[in-house]
Amino acid sequence: MKVKDVLINGIIKENPTFRLVLGMCPTLAVTTAAINGVAMGLAVTFVLAASNLVISLLRNFIPDKVRIPAFVVVIAAFVTIVGMLMEAFVPNLYDALGLFIPLIVVNCIILARAESFASKYNPFYSFFDGIGMGLGFTAALTILGIIREILGAGTIFGASLFAQSFEPAIIMILPPGAFITLGLLLALLNKLDQKWQQKQAKQV
Amino acid sequence: MAAQIQTKMRTENGNLLSFLKTFLRKQPMMRRVLVSLIPILIFSVYSFGWRVLSVLALVTAAGVTTEYFFEKSRNGKPTESVLVSCFLYTLILPVTVPYWIAVVGIIFAIIFGKQVFGGFARNVFNPAVLGRVFVFITFPASMTNSWTQPFSGFPGGFLRWVPDLTDGISSATPLAAAAQGGILPNHLELFLGNISGSMGETSAVLILLAAIYLIVRKTASWKIITSVLIGVLGMETILYFSGVSLFPDPLYAILSGGVLFGAVFMATDPISAPSTEQGKWVFGLLVGVIAVVIREFSLFREGMMFAILIMNSFVPLLDIAVKMAKTNTGKRRVAA
Repeated sequence: MKVKDVLINGIIKENPTFRLVLGMCPTLAVTTAAINGVAMGLAVTFVLAASNLVISLLRNFIPDKVRIPAFVVVIAAFVTIVGMLMEAFVPNLYDALGLFIPLIVVNCIILARAESFASKYNPFYSFFDGIGMGLGFTAALTILGIIREILGAGTIFGASLFAQSFEPAIIMILPPGAFITLGLLLALLNKLDQKWQQKQAKQV
Repeated sequence: MAAQIQTKMRTENGNLLSFLKTFLRKQPMMRRVLVSLIPILIFSVYSFGWRVLSVLALVTAAGVTTEYFFEKSRNGKPTESVLVSCFLYTLILPVTVPYWIAVVGIIFAIIFGKQVFGGFARNVFNPAVLGRVFVFITFPASMTNSWTQPFSGFPGGFLRWVPDLTDGISSATPLAAAAQGGILPNHLELFLGNISGSMGETSAVLILLAAIYLIVRKTASWKIITSVLIGVLGMETILYFSGVSLFPDPLYAILSGGVLFGAVFMATDPISAPSTEQGKWVFGLLVGVIAVVIREFSLFREGMMFAILIMNSFVPLLDIAVKMAKTNTGKRRVAA
């Protein structure tokens, strides 16, 4: 197992949003603007990497029967750290993301990686698995945020893109826009994946 | 249900527009809806000028093209129902709608209202209503501040392109006027249709004539039309006597806005309405009640389109419930 494979696995092959379809709540709720997507993604990346590392270090000490509560305690500690850091240094983003920062605790990506990866592999790989998964999540949220922000507000990272006459499609920054965008992106990626696999099959 | 409708459509034949035959799947049922819309369309040109037809042509072109590309990937032909969707969608837009918004709306309607579910006869929602709600929510500024006074007298709009937008305040639709306390047209004006509103919804009398034609030709279900109207009338009467209604009287509420148009053309769509007879009654009544609740108590003026979409999503449940109730009463001999 190479570090590179672990990273790519998280970013592309098992992208938490597009391939595993995990953590849908923040994905749909906070991606009203690209910057929110980036911030949410990076916060989750930090928690993922740190909690994977710690859980992997503790994996031989945590009794099997209480492993889920133990994981949650570790995760919650890091979420609290992230929340406090964001509140102190980027208060605007903290307000924009609101409840979804504390809710990272129950983000199923983090628990899933703790359960399926960190509790089985050594701390080194676990840390990079967290980074890879986190970056995959960040990329997905950023793409979603960019598409929705361009169509729904006519801006990208807050910078205006179009002339005054452009009338933004407000629905794109409302909840239906999240479902429409995510659905279309999933369909597109499945189509690409199909084509890619057919190509592979032909070559073999 | 889909198979039934399609066989029903195949067994009948029409010979209008022969060039369309080679291009479109034949659906005489849908063709009758188109025929019934012609007087409404002519009146719409009279009221709002020739721009009506230009919007209609553009919307139809965009809608049929969208359907064509999706059907091509399935080796099918576009259905005539897409024409009905385009016509109905156009007729519930304001005449001043920007062309590009109209086109975006119909493309969205055909893709997300119809093709993602698998094309004709598989759609859960009425595509025309879905498109209208989409543009309404997406571009609220363009869609709510663009009502115009219709032309009147002779030759009306037949020599004009589009009514002026300058007089924005006095041309509020009767629905908006009722909510904001503007000047209301009287019952006769509402009935004949010399009022502000969407392109096709203004003339109550023409819509009623179309309804009679569709009922006689067994294209639209009279049960749905009647039950929607009963629902609206009943709910409005309750609100009227409770003193909270925005309208001068319940009849006025029925004649204004899209209630009649929605009841006759939208709620009766054979695909997105229930197929069981009892289901139709429940569906229609609830559409009426929900429409009244939305237009009286929410920020949105026109509750009809939301009500139809909401009830569309309950149609499968209604049909299943009716069928279960029937088999149960058959076994136990309990009167329903």
